[in-house]
Amino acid sequence: MNALPSSRLLWFMSGSIGLIALPHAWHVPPLLIGFFGLMWLWRLLAIARPAWLPNRWGLFALTLAGIGLAFSQHRGVFGRDAGTGLFVVALGLKLLEIRGKRDVYVIVYLAFVVAATQFLYEESILMALYILLVCTVLLATLVTQNSVSPQTVPALKTAATLIVQALPIAMVLFVLFPRLEAPRWSWLDADNQAKSGLSDTLEPGSIAELSLSAELVFRVKFDGDLPPPAQRYWRGPVYSLFDGSAWKAAPALFRAANPDQPAFGGRAYDYTLMMEPQKQNWVFALELPSAFPAGLRRNELYQLTTNKNPGDRAEYRISSTPAYNTGGISPAERRENLQLPGKPSERIRNLIAQLRGTEASPEVLIANLLQHFHRENFRYTLNPEPMPERQVETFLFERRAGFCSHYATAFVYLLRAAEIPARVVGGYQGGRFNTVGGFLEVRQADAHAWAEVWLDGKGWVRFDPTAAIAPERIEQSVNVDLQIASGAANFSPIQLDAKTLTWLQRGRQLWQNVDYQWQRWVINYDTDNQKALLQSLGIDDFVKLGYWLLLSVGGLSGLLAWRLLRPNRRRRDPVLLTYRQFCDKLRKAGVDFGPGDGPQTLAQRAKTVRPDLADAIDRIAAVFIRLRYEPGAETGDLRTLKTLVRGLRV
Amino acid sequence: MLGHRRIFILPTQRGLAFVLLIVLLLLVGFVYSNNLAYLLGFLLASIFFVAILHSFKALAGLSVRAGRQPAVFAGQAGAFNFQIGNPGRQGRYAVQLALQSEMAISLAPAETRIATLYQATERRGWLQPRTLTVSSLYPLGLFRAWAPLRFDSPLLVYPKPAKRQLPFPESGDGQLSEGLSRRQGDEFYGLRPYQRGDAIRQIHWKTFAKGQGVFSKQYAGAGSSELWLDYQQAPGHNSEERLSQLCRWVVDAEKAGLRYGLLLPNLRLPPDTGTTHYRQCLQALALF
Repeated sequence: MNALPSSRLLWFMSGSIGLIALPHAWHVPPLLIGFFGLMWLWRLLAIARPAWLPNRWGLFALTLAGIGLAFSQHRGVFGRDAGTGLFVVALGLKLLEIRGKRDVYVIVYLAFVVAATQFLYEESILMALYILLVCTVLLATLVTQNSVSPQTVPALKTAATLIVQALPIAMVLFVLFPRLEAPRWSWLDADNQAKSGLSDTLEPGSIAELSLSAELVFRVKFDGDLPPPAQRYWRGPVYSLFDGSAWKAAPALFRAANPDQPAFGGRAYDYTLMMEPQKQNWVFALELPSAFPAGLRRNELYQLTTNKNPGDRAEYRISSTPAYNTGGISPAERRENLQLPGKPSERIRNLIAQLRGTEASPEVLIANLLQHFHRENFRYTLNPEPMPERQVETFLFERRAGFCSHYATAFVYLLRAAEIPARVVGGYQGGRFNTVGGFLEVRQADAHAWAEVWLDGKGWVRFDPTAAIAPERIEQSVNVDLQIASGAANFSPIQLDAKTLTWLQRGRQLWQNVDYQWQRWVINYDTDNQKALLQSLGIDDFVKLGYWLLLSVGGLSGLLAWRLLRPNRRRRDPVLLTYRQFCDKLRKAGVDFGPGDGPQTLAQRAKTVRPDLADAIDRIAAVFIRLRYEPGAETGDLRTLKTLVRGLRV
Repeated sequence: MLGHRRIFILPTQRGLAFVLLIVLLLLVGFVYSNNLAYLLGFLLASIFFVAILHSFKALAGLSVRAGRQPAVFAGQAGAFNFQIGNPGRQGRYAVQLALQSEMAISLAPAETRIATLYQATERRGWLQPRTLTVSSLYPLGLFRAWAPLRFDSPLLVYPKPAKRQLPFPESGDGQLSEGLSRRQGDEFYGLRPYQRGDAIRQIHWKTFAKGQGVFSKQYAGAGSSELWLDYQQAPGHNSEERLSQLCRWVVDAEKAGLRYGLLLPNLRLPPDTGTTHYRQCLQALALF
């Protein structure tokens, strides 16, 4: 039983192991994946030349080397990266030590674990399909191991059949199996991948950098219709400290408390927000969020933050109301939002005086300022020339070309110089509508900075100076692809009409929709989702859940058993059936014959045993031979055969 | 025909290890809150489950019949023939058969095969086959399905021929063959069509090579020497030894092409030659 595995099996196994390890090459340290690759190549070479395999001592030395390598890379065995590295190394080592059937199983089981660790890095639908494919090959390895004369295609077919038949039950288990919230262990969070995105510092170039990234930040599905494009501002960090070139968010500790709760009026938009993994625990809600779930908090700057791990995808139900009044301002808050990095220059003060005119109202100043941006020769560009010194003045009076953060900075700076409390708000603006899935996709390229001014009786009011220069930035959404390709600002009209899309765009939207649903229903399916789903099915306790599990799994497997095990309904040949009756009768009469004896031999034997029946036996044999072996037998012959056999008395 | 009443299924050691693997995957899913790891775990669990059905299917519907069992001498391995039929449309890729020896076969759809399995023989007489175990690890080796089958299909065991080559006994009519006239009479008198039981030595190869058919050479004097093998005359301390010696004589006499008869206390087989006679004599000895 413990014979050495055949070379076909070894090829099968090495192939699937290679496929399993391949995607790990992107995140397992090069030394470890190199070690694995070496072992794997060694195994492949040794299929043809088994003598090249290392002996016991060689294997021992290799094992020590492998463990040493794994430790040197991760200093431990716990945690995602270290565990994955160790499993990959173990898989490589085990490949060289195949002595029998048992080792094949150890390798295949290890490979399944390595396949599962892949999901800790990448959870896309493509990766899932890939792993499913590799699992088929792994199962086929086991099928090959258990076949007498293995063949490649039938083994793969059997494996695929097993998986296809198992999938429905797996899905039921996936949906119904109780999901428990795992405690968060610190050593597991240690290796959170860095993500790009907005930070609590707004440097002159930071948004321009993001504008070339198509990385998804979040997706929004509105319950009803969408807010108009000019209202699609997704609020992020608020910057109120300016040092002359960069903006910083005020530290939370010293943040001035706002005296009033915001008052909301007008229509509210209800939507589901699905955040992709982030570095910060910010949740980008439409301005301003009026209702949100318990895990979220709206800070004094009206920004939503979550208490969950931002590295996980998360889904939130939020209501936002675009019409709001944040009320009064505390003296501390006013002070904070009038802060300037030094005294404004003469030119600035002249500009303010010119814009303000005779009226003293802040609204007039703001309107004039926006007019100024619009009338004078200001340009919107993604890559302005660097302005290392005295950024605001250089921008306002010399270059007159910049990006949203430049405009927001200059705008806020001028208002603060005019003693009007103002601040810069970071976040995202716009988003691309996916017509297939009916949701809005917001990418890093949609990152934006705008201004907020405190006005008496209105509270904090949003002003977007970029809209004065490049209204298309606000009215239309960023054309991410073109912008990335050209490196310059590009906008495309929002297309709501599916008919005008090219098939390529439609295909892409379809794919993004599939991805969205995948993220939403598979990756993001957690305790809360499950609870909601189960409650909608009327399952509210574990006993009921148990019944449901038993019932659905039992029902599915019953169906499967019926499909698999029902007897073959192939119609038997009536001639053969009748002949078999004849044989049974003869056997009862004491005629000895084997399964290989033909009708003539049988008739000969039968006649010697029962000479009294010789006539009938001869006739039966003759009719049977005619029916079975001669062309052109008549239908009447079958009837004759039946009558004759029935009439045979033994 | 193997149905659900006869097939038993239990997980193998590897199947139990597979359960551990599933638990490990679910743990990974739990600790990292990773739904795809969960999904993989559930998929393997369902495969484990579905594999039970497939294990059953690997055997269900097979027909096993006992074939014709050829007689052997005691001490030789008894060869039992079983006819394994696969009436369905589904191939059987690994069917393990075990009597005392084991063999593994695969069957294409609608294929029927004769499997020969061996069992040690010790005593003369009828020998029933032990329990035939038909089993399969197909498809994944996680479960073993097996069906123990008992057949009433005995095999005839002849006595073990004595080792010593003793001269044939003197027969009653005085014609003694002392191993000199072991060959049939020397005078060739003609050919007759081959009949079952004719010795290979007798075949006239020249005509066969010319493609004219198979003929046996006939010699004058064949049948002229008659030999009686008598139980009373056979040496031996007990009946088994005597039977053993008689058996040896029968074998030798048949090889030599002599006409021989068998005298047992309760049976008398007149002198004759040929396979049928030979078998009759040996059967009489086996069942004495």
